[in-house]
Amino acid sequence: MTSAQNPLVRRCPRLGGPVAFSYCLRCEVEQPCFKIVDCWWETFDIVQYLRDHLPEDRFDRLMNARPKAKITSLVEVIEQARQRVRD
Amino acid sequence: MERKKVLLSEDEMPRQWYNVLADIKMNPPLGPDGKPVSPDMLAPVFPMNIIEQEVSSQRWIDIPEEVLGILAIWRPSPLIRATALEKALGTPARIYYKYEGVSPPGSHKPNTAVPQAYYNKKFGIQRLTTETGAGQWGSALAFACAQFGLECKVFMVRISFDQKPYRKTMMQTWGASCVASPSMETKAGRDILAKTPDTPGSLGIAISEAVEAAVSDSSGKTRYSLGSVLNHVMLHQTIIGLEAKKQLEKIGEYPDVVVGCAGGGSNFAGLAFPFVYDKINGKKIDIHPVEPAACPTLTKGPFAYDHGDTAGYTPLLAMHSLGHTFVPPPMHAGGLRYHGMAPTVSQLAVEGLLEPKAYGQIDTFEAGLLLARTEGVIPAPETNHALACVVDLARKAKEEGKQKVILFNWSGHGLIDLGSYEKYLAGQIKDFEFPAKDIEEAEKILQQYPKPQILKCR
Repeated sequence: MTSAQNPLVRRCPRLGGPVAFSYCLRCEVEQPCFKIVDCWWETFDIVQYLRDHLPEDRFDRLMNARPKAKITSLVEVIEQARQRVRD
Repeated sequence: MERKKVLLSEDEMPRQWYNVLADIKMNPPLGPDGKPVSPDMLAPVFPMNIIEQEVSSQRWIDIPEEVLGILAIWRPSPLIRATALEKALGTPARIYYKYEGVSPPGSHKPNTAVPQAYYNKKFGIQRLTTETGAGQWGSALAFACAQFGLECKVFMVRISFDQKPYRKTMMQTWGASCVASPSMETKAGRDILAKTPDTPGSLGIAISEAVEAAVSDSSGKTRYSLGSVLNHVMLHQTIIGLEAKKQLEKIGEYPDVVVGCAGGGSNFAGLAFPFVYDKINGKKIDIHPVEPAACPTLTKGPFAYDHGDTAGYTPLLAMHSLGHTFVPPPMHAGGLRYHGMAPTVSQLAVEGLLEPKAYGQIDTFEAGLLLARTEGVIPAPETNHALACVVDLARKAKEEGKQKVILFNWSGHGLIDLGSYEKYLAGQIKDFEFPAKDIEEAEKILQQYPKPQILKCR
């Protein structure tokens, strides 16, 4: 089987390599990637797809996400890591 | 023979980086509590000499001799005139590019990996950790650590780890330890694997692992290294644009347009920021960060303006949703809303010093193939975004009969990242296998959710 047979494979701008749509749907610990809409809107109606397949609250969260600045998320990750180490 | 390359000698390498923070006003980065991030909050992962650079507003910062000595392995990088591309397009534009693929790992990334390794070593650090997706950054840091005798631990997202064995081999060849993330080496990794043993991983998980590996070293001799977005990374990359200015000066040229692809912003910033400095000081020049075309509809509301991140660094965006029918507002293109974008790049766009452009993936690969078949080098897939813009500008110059000087950053070669080309050229080369259920699902999705019609406002 080749990727030519699977139209739902594209280059992931975050990873830099080809990924299947199924990866984008689940990569954030079983949650969709925050960039899923930006990556797939050129291929099919991803917004309607997500509306149909996600619980309403999760769909709303994804669509209205306000991503954090890198430094903010880094400080959060540091604190979480220190907490894990303390535990 | 027409001149193809402009070279500088090692003596002509810039001795200082340009810090754009001296010339723009930025909101302070905010921590999770909404208060400005203080240096001590970053101290568990970065040495203080790097934190000082991160917050410095000094315009010119000296490049240490030890760093220049390592950079000299491949720097100054050549400035090349894309004569074959010009000919193929029949454009009157003169097109130049800085070729960063000449570095040992094949990209611009070691321009910051080397100074970061140096400053860590100077601070007494013995081991660096990081995460990597495609492996470009991981291999750059592995190379830099080898030069300074530091240990290097790279958490590579599992899906990429499996797809790109040669990146892993590069890192190991330079003495780094590269493990698939999630791994059993951190609590973050073990927790994820306990829940989902077959997970392909993600960048978020890999970052958590790399940070945990740094903060859990009770000896205090381990730190974490990041290859994009942050201010000190942009600073280190400016050597690209500073060299380019000298090279163009040698041949009596100055660009009308500067172009770079903008993912995290570092290769764009590296070329563009020294020209932004000129623009701030009165030069007339167009500067384009190029990003993937983003979805024009994100909210359920009739029309919404929003900042792309909590701190409001990114430009105001109009976001519009009409269900099945997309209506991209004119200001949509090139919003730079991706939260991974460098805040300095976003701020310059807000101030009108940059004009972002966006291109779809088909345009970018077409441009990549055109460059590969004319100039000869297979571009790194992310470089293709810049190339799409360059091709577009060169065609416009032809239509308008203008002899524009276009400068762009060829951020790396694509020889170890051919998977995306493989996909583009699908049918000719075999790719990795996908489960049959994925194929069926894909067919169903495409039938049930056809691409919506894109309507233009004007």
